[in-house]
Amino acid sequence: MTTETRTSRAELSPKPPTKTKRSNKAKTRAVLTEFSMVAPAVLVYVGLLVVPVLFAFYYSLTDYNGFPSQTPKFVGFKNFERIFESADVKGTMVLTGIVAAVGSLLVNFAALGMALLLQKTNRFNTFGRVVMFYPHVLSMLVVGFLWAAILGPQGAVNTLREVLGQGDLPFLSDPLWALWTMVGVIVWAQFGVQLVLYLAGLQTIPAELLEAARIDGANKWQLFRSVTWPALGPTATVAIITSGISLLKTYDVVVSLTGGGPAGSTKTLAYEILSVSFPERRIGLASAESVLLIIAAAILAFTVLALRKKADEGAESV
Amino acid sequence: MMFATTRRRATAVLAAGTVPFLLLTACSSPSTDSGSGATAGGEVRMLVNLTDNLTQDYWNKLVKPFEDKTGIDVKIEGPTGKSVAETFPTQLAAGTAPDVIQSLFPDQQTAPELVDLSGEGWVKDTPMADTYAMEGKNYVVGVGSQAQSLVYYNKSAFAAAGITKTPETWDEFNETLQKLKTAGFTPLQSAGQFMTGLQLQQLWHPTLNIEHPKWQSSVTDESLTVGQAYQPMFEKYSKWIEDGYIAKDAVGLDPSAADANFIGGKVGMYPLGSWFVATLVKAGNLPFEVGVFSPPVDKGQDYPGPQGATMATPYMVYQGSKNLDASKQLVQYLVTDETAIKTQLTADGGFRAGYDVQTSDAGKDVQKIVDSAPSLVSVGQGAGDNQLPVAGFNPRFTQVAQSLFTGASPQDAANSIDQWVKENR
Repeated sequence: MTTETRTSRAELSPKPPTKTKRSNKAKTRAVLTEFSMVAPAVLVYVGLLVVPVLFAFYYSLTDYNGFPSQTPKFVGFKNFERIFESADVKGTMVLTGIVAAVGSLLVNFAALGMALLLQKTNRFNTFGRVVMFYPHVLSMLVVGFLWAAILGPQGAVNTLREVLGQGDLPFLSDPLWALWTMVGVIVWAQFGVQLVLYLAGLQTIPAELLEAARIDGANKWQLFRSVTWPALGPTATVAIITSGISLLKTYDVVVSLTGGGPAGSTKTLAYEILSVSFPERRIGLASAESVLLIIAAAILAFTVLALRKKADEGAESV
Repeated sequence: MMFATTRRRATAVLAAGTVPFLLLTACSSPSTDSGSGATAGGEVRMLVNLTDNLTQDYWNKLVKPFEDKTGIDVKIEGPTGKSVAETFPTQLAAGTAPDVIQSLFPDQQTAPELVDLSGEGWVKDTPMADTYAMEGKNYVVGVGSQAQSLVYYNKSAFAAAGITKTPETWDEFNETLQKLKTAGFTPLQSAGQFMTGLQLQQLWHPTLNIEHPKWQSSVTDESLTVGQAYQPMFEKYSKWIEDGYIAKDAVGLDPSAADANFIGGKVGMYPLGSWFVATLVKAGNLPFEVGVFSPPVDKGQDYPGPQGATMATPYMVYQGSKNLDASKQLVQYLVTDETAIKTQLTADGGFRAGYDVQTSDAGKDVQKIVDSAPSLVSVGQGAGDNQLPVAGFNPRFTQVAQSLFTGASPQDAANSIDQWVKENR
């Protein structure tokens, strides 16, 4: 009704030509103003993010060794073929996938659990939140060294076990143990950020909704499953994607905790790129590995978002 | 509807933001803050390895007299990655390479990026200049040489185990290991990270170089494989792990903890290079006497075998340096100035003819071993014209050596290193 009235008014009183000209000029000016405001940000984004990505794609198709005197030679998909032919790099990619998937799951599980425990604001919980966030403040390199000192063959835990007459636990000297130790350390160091996200998400759930569910007789589990968790959906999506991508890039903790060992059992793709391919001056290969990492991150992000969308649509249809 | 649109937008924004960010992180090179070359005022950027012995303060003090004398400002830079070996190629690719690079050696790929110093009169008198020359060109100069094939031992532990003589053959070595174990000592100390592969190579240098002199060149011309060269040592090492002469969990141990174990007196034998002399001196008075011997050889071979050696504290000058003259002056100072040489030899356990800087007993013993060695041979990747046809040998070798701790057979280890060479040559 309102729209119709407005339309008819506009038709009945056409603007004089001089006014239209002015209006067009004003529109152009407005567009130019908007463009000039956006342009610096777009330029920075393109220059610092898009261009390096395009360079990486380009280098991944060459045999470039990174030396200024060498002209990169186009080799097609040879670097990618090489990656998929090498059992070592394939193993590294599988391991990275495991670290990202399991680590992300554990990080979010721990963060959500702690967020539910610490959601009420009181002195103890405020202190608890600070303590839980604290590991994230430390550099991952420091975290790695710290846990190496605790869990190494002569670390605090094994020394204590020795005093108690127990045998050593091979936290860092057995391939499987070293992998799960590394995942555990990453979870410890990273879940603080996800905790903050979940705490923020919990604050947005309307108290009336929870109250209504309680009045309807919902128990704690039903309350979580039917009210809290659906409301936390967008938060969980962001938390899973950010933690997954962060874990796909796992590098510094590998350097300081395990050095990729024993026998390459904790070598992630980012470690392979930065500590193996780059020092061996295989920039083309390192770029191809980076491109695969990007694709993996993109797949992860889009998959989680698609699942989220599907879940939302399902909920709306109900 | 509005939420769906917002979500779509959010998806696009998230994807657009995430993808480049990830690539940047994975592919980006560490930045330095001073650009690619020295300033007009005469600054030289020097990339150095920072270790327990060679600290930032040590480097600053080392170059201070040069700075005072020439007015050239030397900017010491530590690695932005794990090591200089990791940092230099990254900086080269990023166009931020330093003027002078310490601790690396040239190879076929890096040589064109480096200054050929063979025209400089002072180069020919520097240690191992010929060994490291590539087709007669000197891309690297060093302060001294470091012995690589040494076994440090605890004399008190040997006495307690009833060992009266250091082993000269592998059979005697096995016997020594067994006696040390029986006496309650860790017979052979190993560690994780770089040390696993390094020690295995150090022990095998003398025997390997008697059987296959210049074995790196033999691998290059395909008359020998690395697996063939090292399988006998893989077998010995694997057996030692199985027999408990090397602790199985040592593969997870930090190398500095391994040093501490030896210094603490728990260990019988500890293979390491001559730089360990500096650590021993730093440790002060130990409750036991330290001895050093050259690793054993096979029965029937002359003992001691060739000594593995590397150029100590090597320096290279980057071809693209904007201050080439100042860079060359700095390198000349570091490898020819008497005080600078003494400081560097002392700090990192180096040796040089005419410089009697090693005053400790262990240092003197190392000097004797170097003097009595029939020849000094290049190790690992090789040096000068005697090099393996692959880059990154030592880290890969370490991974293979560690696999012996985690259940791989000597044959698997040999196949694995051969496969890697095949894929990367």
